[in-house]
Amino acid sequence: MSTLNVSNITDGTTTVGTSYVVNGSAKMWVSLNDAAVVKDSFNVSSASDSGVGKYTVNFTNAFSNSDYANAMIAVDADGNGYISGKSTTSVRYNNYTTTFTDAPTEGMIMGDLA
Amino acid sequence: MTHGHLWDRLAEAKSRLEPVQSKYRVVFEDPATPDEPAKVLCPDPNWMAAALEGNILPPIDTYQRDRLVSDGQPKEHPYAKPIGPMSEEEAIEYLIMKDIDPAVWQEYRGNRTIMKIVPVELVPSDRSFRNAWKINQEADERIAA
Repeated sequence: MSTLNVSNITDGTTTVGTSYVVNGSAKMWVSLNDAAVVKDSFNVSSASDSGVGKYTVNFTNAFSNSDYANAMIAVDADGNGYISGKSTTSVRYNNYTTTFTDAPTEGMIMGDLA
Repeated sequence: MTHGHLWDRLAEAKSRLEPVQSKYRVVFEDPATPDEPAKVLCPDPNWMAAALEGNILPPIDTYQRDRLVSDGQPKEHPYAKPIGPMSEEEAIEYLIMKDIDPAVWQEYRGNRTIMKIVPVELVPSDRSFRNAWKINQEADERIAA
């Protein structure tokens, strides 16, 4: 693997620091089916089906702290998804309407890696 | 040659390796929450491809030492020298030690079987009674629904 060691990236007109690119990249993303089988992902080691509508995602490269920004959504499902159990190594996605509901679920994290 | 950061290796591997869907699942119960249903852990296909390929993932003991490191403090596993290729069975064992609480796979001393590695086809596809799933304590390996 080759490494390009540069401070800035430019297209000839606009210049941006590589730190903006690195810090602005999603450090984890995942697309699960309704039984926590990973359809596609990055920086995920496994996902657990923890019960109806409850999915735990485990990270391959841990985060520095659990203050990362995390977005998730249940696909084609009415109601509210919410995030719980945030840690440096995993997070739980919950799909909830009037009760917990199985649904394909997607998530993405912006934050600092360990 | 330096082995770089784990995240860089994952990015490179993602661009090069075909994902591998595992033939296995890990079914487990958390002894701390006996009223909750059995959980089913599914390996990530990109992670499994990296495990089978080798020279991407760090040694499992680095993750175990990092469990004891406080948030915000430097962790060992992203910078550790990667290990060689694993078989799928070895990769599942690695994943158990990485992603399942030691209270399940190491410290439990009760009489129930609280963890099993099972072929995918033994996990029920009918989720009507998902919240009642428990590990079957009989000799066969199906999950009771």
